[in-house]
Amino acid sequence: MKIEGTHVFNGPREDVWDMFYDPNVLASALPGAQKMEMVKEDEYKFDMNVRVGPVSGAFTGEMQLENVVKPDSLTLKGGGKGAPGFLNGIGNVKFKEQEDNTTLMEYEGEVNIGGALASVGQRMIDSVAKSMIRTGFETLDKALAARLAAKETGAEAVEFKAPTEAQFAKEVAKDMVKMENWSAETKLVLYIVPVIAVIILLAFILKSCGA
Amino acid sequence: MTESTISKSYKRNEDPRLLTGNGNYIDDIEIPGMLHVAIKRSDYAHAKINKIDTEEAKKMPGVVAVYTAEDLGDYWRPGPLQVPPPTVIKGSIFHARPLECIAKNKIRFSGEPVAVVVAESRYIAEDALDYIYLDIEPLEYVGDLEKSLDPGAPLIHEDLESNLSADVRQEVGSWEKAVAEADLVVKKRIVTKHVAGGAIENRGIVIQWDDSFKVLNVWATTQGPVPMRNSIAKYLGLMENQVRVMNPDIGGGFGPKIMSSQIDDVVIPWIAMKLKKPIKWVEDRRENFLGTTSERDQVHYAEIALKKDGTILGVKDEFYHNTGAYNPYGMTVPLNTQTHVISNYNIPNYFTRIIMVFTNQMVVTPVRGAGRSHGIFVMERLLDAAAKELGMDPIEIRRKNILPPESMPFRTGVIGQDFVESVLDSGDYPGALEKTLEAIEYEKFKKEIQPKLRAEGKHKGIGVIMFTEGTAVGPYEGAKVMVGVTGKVNVVCAYSNQGQGHYTTFAQVAANQLGVDIKDIEVVIGDTGQWQWGVGAFASRGMTLVGTAIHNAAVKVREKALNLASKILETPKEELELADGVVRIADLPEKFISLGELAMRANPTRGTVEEGMEPGLEAASYYGPPHGATGYGCLGLILDVDPETAKVKIERLVIADDCGTNINPMIVDGQIHGGLQMGIGEAFYENLVYDDYGQLVTASFMDYLFPQATDMPAKFEIKHIVTPSPLNPLGIKGIGEAGAICVPACFMQALEDAFEGMDLDITDSFMSPGKLYHYVQKAKGA
Amino acid sequence: MTQKVKVAITVNGTLYEREVEPRLLLSDFIRHDLGLKGTHVGCEHGLCGSCTVLIDGLSSRSCTLFAVMVDGSDIKTVESLGTMEKMHPIQEAFQEKHALQCGFCTPGFLMTTVEFLEGNPNPTAEEAREAIDGNFCRCTGYENIVEAVQLAAKKMAAD
Repeated sequence: MKIEGTHVFNGPREDVWDMFYDPNVLASALPGAQKMEMVKEDEYKFDMNVRVGPVSGAFTGEMQLENVVKPDSLTLKGGGKGAPGFLNGIGNVKFKEQEDNTTLMEYEGEVNIGGALASVGQRMIDSVAKSMIRTGFETLDKALAARLAAKETGAEAVEFKAPTEAQFAKEVAKDMVKMENWSAETKLVLYIVPVIAVIILLAFILKSCGA
Repeated sequence: MTESTISKSYKRNEDPRLLTGNGNYIDDIEIPGMLHVAIKRSDYAHAKINKIDTEEAKKMPGVVAVYTAEDLGDYWRPGPLQVPPPTVIKGSIFHARPLECIAKNKIRFSGEPVAVVVAESRYIAEDALDYIYLDIEPLEYVGDLEKSLDPGAPLIHEDLESNLSADVRQEVGSWEKAVAEADLVVKKRIVTKHVAGGAIENRGIVIQWDDSFKVLNVWATTQGPVPMRNSIAKYLGLMENQVRVMNPDIGGGFGPKIMSSQIDDVVIPWIAMKLKKPIKWVEDRRENFLGTTSERDQVHYAEIALKKDGTILGVKDEFYHNTGAYNPYGMTVPLNTQTHVISNYNIPNYFTRIIMVFTNQMVVTPVRGAGRSHGIFVMERLLDAAAKELGMDPIEIRRKNILPPESMPFRTGVIGQDFVESVLDSGDYPGALEKTLEAIEYEKFKKEIQPKLRAEGKHKGIGVIMFTEGTAVGPYEGAKVMVGVTGKVNVVCAYSNQGQGHYTTFAQVAANQLGVDIKDIEVVIGDTGQWQWGVGAFASRGMTLVGTAIHNAAVKVREKALNLASKILETPKEELELADGVVRIADLPEKFISLGELAMRANPTRGTVEEGMEPGLEAASYYGPPHGATGYGCLGLILDVDPETAKVKIERLVIADDCGTNINPMIVDGQIHGGLQMGIGEAFYENLVYDDYGQLVTASFMDYLFPQATDMPAKFEIKHIVTPSPLNPLGIKGIGEAGAICVPACFMQALEDAFEGMDLDITDSFMSPGKLYHYVQKAKGA
Repeated sequence: MTQKVKVAITVNGTLYEREVEPRLLLSDFIRHDLGLKGTHVGCEHGLCGSCTVLIDGLSSRSCTLFAVMVDGSDIKTVESLGTMEKMHPIQEAFQEKHALQCGFCTPGFLMTTVEFLEGNPNPTAEEAREAIDGNFCRCTGYENIVEAVQLAAKKMAAD
């Protein structure tokens, strides 16, 4: 499945890139993420809980960063597996400076999922994916704002609060209800944005921070 | 002779048992000390296996054993080829690749078994599946029928040159000649879609190895107990009488339960013998979707050549048939397609070619309809397209080409799934068409009702199509009829019953000869310990083949009873009558002997017997027809479509059907109802969908839409035509698949009619509401 | 192993006190712990309706409930209806109308019908069809089941 999209971060490109290289940010922005660790430079392992409708379970996986051109672009590759199935993906991310001092992130990639996650969870994936993207970016927006504020005041501690899994679940439920009212185009976009793709992509993006 | 028990709607003998919770289905079988199996299945569609780590699973409390292909050692081998290759068809190519019931070295479809866990409970066995780790290398997935033969396509079986599974060509007359003479040739690419058997009960097996008597007892939901018995015996090195396969009550079959050579009947018996413990495995619904078989995936390039007046000169049909990752069931399905394309019409020139391909999908074997509905769909769609081109009414083109009654029996010249020429044995095809048109009031609808509705902006369409149903194919079945010392009668066979009512209809056939109450006839079906030979429940052949064998056996038993009674009553046979459980002198009814007493006397314990005497009031018989009997019929539908929501209401459904003699008309109607339900599902609700990576994304009833009560029309209007088959003494033809065969073709014709002028041009056998919406928008130019 | 939990569940008028694993499905409890095999399991995800039983009078899918969730409840299964010798009017109607073939889904339909006819003793065909819409049957095409539900209503009214 192909996924693609853009997001505008309200801050300069260097700060956005740096944020992504802060390992604390990722785990908090990614619902279900339990652990992320660097195996070696640009290579990581992660554990996370995945819940897509009736399918849930622990995943372990790994990912690699390639073609890292700071602060411009990178390629993410990796996959994970667990009782609910497996996922594999590859994605390209670009950060573009914009005139109003914001950063445009463009991402595109291809992901495939298998096992119960695909055969049973498939029908829920659209809504879960949508929620994942939205809450993930919302969290990152907050994280970025907190970082920029801290930078201004010179404070060391960066304050921001990540959503809990329960909050995330609530968001998913809300999105599922809302889905009925979405336009055909929105739905079409969602159909090509499976959750796991996004999990991985976000994980990769965020994880690129670790280094 | 008492009243005939044939063609009467007796209430079913089996119902009180099934209605009160006293049925005995596979999961109801409990044996003390029984262990439970769960199967680890591959999440990947195509992959190389490096290693399967079962250590952690083995250590779990309650887990008794875990087996992979490696652990099977020398026992591991591909399952048997259930149906042999079509060598009778000259020049045919068939690459036999029977199922690898547990994957070794390579995974070829998602859902393929890779390990078996045996544990003290099903819960523990399923827990352990999560602790089996697969080290694999994913390979590129092959799913597209046509691209599977591309030169660069990844090979599913590396020892073959391509993914070609079979190539079979048949020609009657000359297609080239037809084209040369034709005024018009219409070409279409026609697609039929993947559907599941969908029995409400999943498959299952219980195995008990009796180590002291060296007997393997097997209870299985199989539609073919004898072939399963034979393959288990062969694999385990046992004699046939050491393996007893028994059918419990079976919760629906619909085709996929005919399939053996899977992990349950190849691997689990070996484990049960090794562990010397009874073992049960019952499939769950997701496994049933992923790992059990399915059908209907074909792509046809079809052409029809005609004269200006609509006379068919010839048909050409080259089609790709998806057999899945293996081809254990041979060519049954696509051969049925070949014989059913030409169905009800006079087609002097016919060329047909099967290109059967391997894909990384579940194995394809018959599902109710089994290739026939695809053939009918192709032919009827071609006729509709031709009618449109010629500006003819769809009924007119059918009337023009339909086979007349005097052409029966009609030899088609095409070899079918039974490896003999398909012959349409009897029937009044035009009669079925006219009967349907009359019942559905075709003329009135077209001329009066529809114009008014159109003026009101409503979209109601009518469809009428013809179909044949090749049934009751050979090679043979057999049965034994025995009168017991109590006077009750026992009928035994090794067929298989999944709800067809054989406990009643088989009893009716025996009762008709033996003059006993059908409630006093106990029918045993599917027990190889009681009856050793047979083939299995497929192709709507039970009533015809087993029924005829029972009839023939009962005639012999009747003769035996009369002969013996004649001696005892010292009266010529001709003066005796058999009725009400006794043989009596017709003119002296008070002088009689009961059947029970005769049964006792039929086994003399002192004295001498005449040469050639056969003891017991019993007889066995086998029956094998020269070729199948062909049912046929005509379906009419009126569909009311809401163009905004694409919701379709089936306003009327009329079916005319001829299945020869109806042994039990109530049961015949029930078979038609059930078939129609599957046909409606196939046309509008059910579809197995694989994603671009070979993941089945419809592996639950949340995504695989099962047709429900409100999806059906208020009434199935059935019109019977009875042309007894000349092939068997009772004149029976099969009826199990009629409804499942005919719906998609008719449904699409009616949808096109509902949107006349928009030229929907539907060439796909499956039309979901979403797709219909898309078609309508496209036709509108939106 | 998981700790077991005590439950007291009345099934068909008999009180059963058992210790069960918290994850034991109600359908497995009924079938395997109590040996009442009339309740069937067809899909294990609450869609097909073969496992339908009445819990305190309400039709419910026993395959998507845990036994511990119905502690203290009163459950009725197909075995609570008639016997082979003396069937319940609904069972008689199903036989007379040929509303079953393989019989696997049938107990679920019967229990759904019991509940439905209590609330609507004289249903139209449309109402009867609507009532059984949540139960799957692969054999019958449903028409005879609709007729059986209506016939059962008549039989019960006459009783």
